[in-house]
Amino acid sequence: MLPTPHVSCDYDKVYEPSEDSFLLLDALEKDRAFLTQFLGSQGVNLVCEVGCGSGIVTTFMMQNNIPSKYSIYVPTDVNPWALESTVGTVQRNECGQRFFSPVRTNLVHSIREQEIDLLVFNPPYVPAETVPAVPQDWELDPTKVASEQRPDDWLDLALLGGDDGMVVTWQLLNNLDSFLSAKGVAYILFCARNKPLDVVKHMQEQGWQSELVEHRKAGWEVLSIYRFHR
Amino acid sequence: MKFLTSNFLKCSVQDCDRSNDNFPLKFDGEKCQLEQDEGLEFNPEFLLRIIDRVDWPAIVSVASDLGNTTLPPTKPEFANEELSEEDMIILRDLHTLLIQTNIVEGQMMCRNCGHIYYIKNSIPNLLLPPHLA
Repeated sequence: MLPTPHVSCDYDKVYEPSEDSFLLLDALEKDRAFLTQFLGSQGVNLVCEVGCGSGIVTTFMMQNNIPSKYSIYVPTDVNPWALESTVGTVQRNECGQRFFSPVRTNLVHSIREQEIDLLVFNPPYVPAETVPAVPQDWELDPTKVASEQRPDDWLDLALLGGDDGMVVTWQLLNNLDSFLSAKGVAYILFCARNKPLDVVKHMQEQGWQSELVEHRKAGWEVLSIYRFHR
Repeated sequence: MKFLTSNFLKCSVQDCDRSNDNFPLKFDGEKCQLEQDEGLEFNPEFLLRIIDRVDWPAIVSVASDLGNTTLPPTKPEFANEELSEEDMIILRDLHTLLIQTNIVEGQMMCRNCGHIYYIKNSIPNLLLPPHLA
C-alpha cells in the first residue's frame, strides 16, 4: 500500500481529507497499471484534479508517478485557501521534481479544450437545496475586504451539490468530451444519494465506458468511484 | 505559474471559445515578475515529450510577451537516436524557459474580449466576476 501524504492545513477554510479522499487514493493506486497502459508510455500526460482542496490527491499522484513520471500536474480550485494548501502539501511531501502549477478557476473552464488526459474529481456531492455561490473576495470585488468573508462559505462550496448532490458533477460530465483529450480518462467520486447507477446508465447511453473502480461504506454513506473514458 | 502552463490556459469567458483569440493569453511583460526555480533538474526525455506536445506558436508568443525573442519560429526537431551537443543546448534552454521559469506576479489578457487575469503568489486567477461567469 502506498503511503498517504502528510497534510496539515486550516480546516476552517479547506475541506479536510476524509473517507472520500482516501477512497480516491485507493482507486488511483488500484488503477496504476491500468492508467499506464491506457494512457500509453509515449507522450506526456496533462493531469488535472478539479477542486484540489488540501492537495492530498494531487500530491499522492505526484509522489507515485500516477499516471507516469512524464506528467504535468495542473490542479484547480475556486477556493484561494485550497490552492495555498495544495502548494503547502506538495512542498511538505517532497515531490519537488514533478511539474506542478495550480490554477484558480471554476471546474476546468480555463484549461484548453481536449487537453486533459487524467481528470480526477471529488465533487461537492451532498444533496442540498442549491449550490452555493462562489464567495466574492477582494480580488474579484475590490469593495469587499477579506474580513467580510465567512470561511464557512468555502467549506459549503466544497460540500453542497444541489439536487441529488449532482448539479456540479453534471456540469463536468455533460462536457466531458470537450474537457478530456481523445485518450483521456476521468475518475469521479459519488455517494449513494447521487444515484450513481442512473448516472452511469446515462453516460453509457452517450457512449462512455463507465466502470466502478472502488466502493466503500463510510459511516452512513456509501461512496463509489467510477472511471469514464471513450 | 510555470511558463509551460500558459500553453494550457485560455480565457474563461465562454463566448470567447468561438474565437481563435482566446489562446494564448497575452502577458503584460512590464508587470510580470519572473523567478527561476533552479531546483528542478534537467530531464531531456521529459523536455522532448513536452516539445512534441506543445503549441509552439503560443510558446513563441508568450516568450515574446515576456521579452524573450530568441526562439525559432518553428518547433525545433530532434533526431530519434543520439542527441547531439547542439540538441542538448537547445533542450537545456527550453528547460530553463518552460520548466524553471515561474511567473510570480503579473497579469495576462484575453486577445478577444480584453479581460485581464491576475497572477499572485505564482497562482493565476482565472475566475470571472459574476457578471461574466
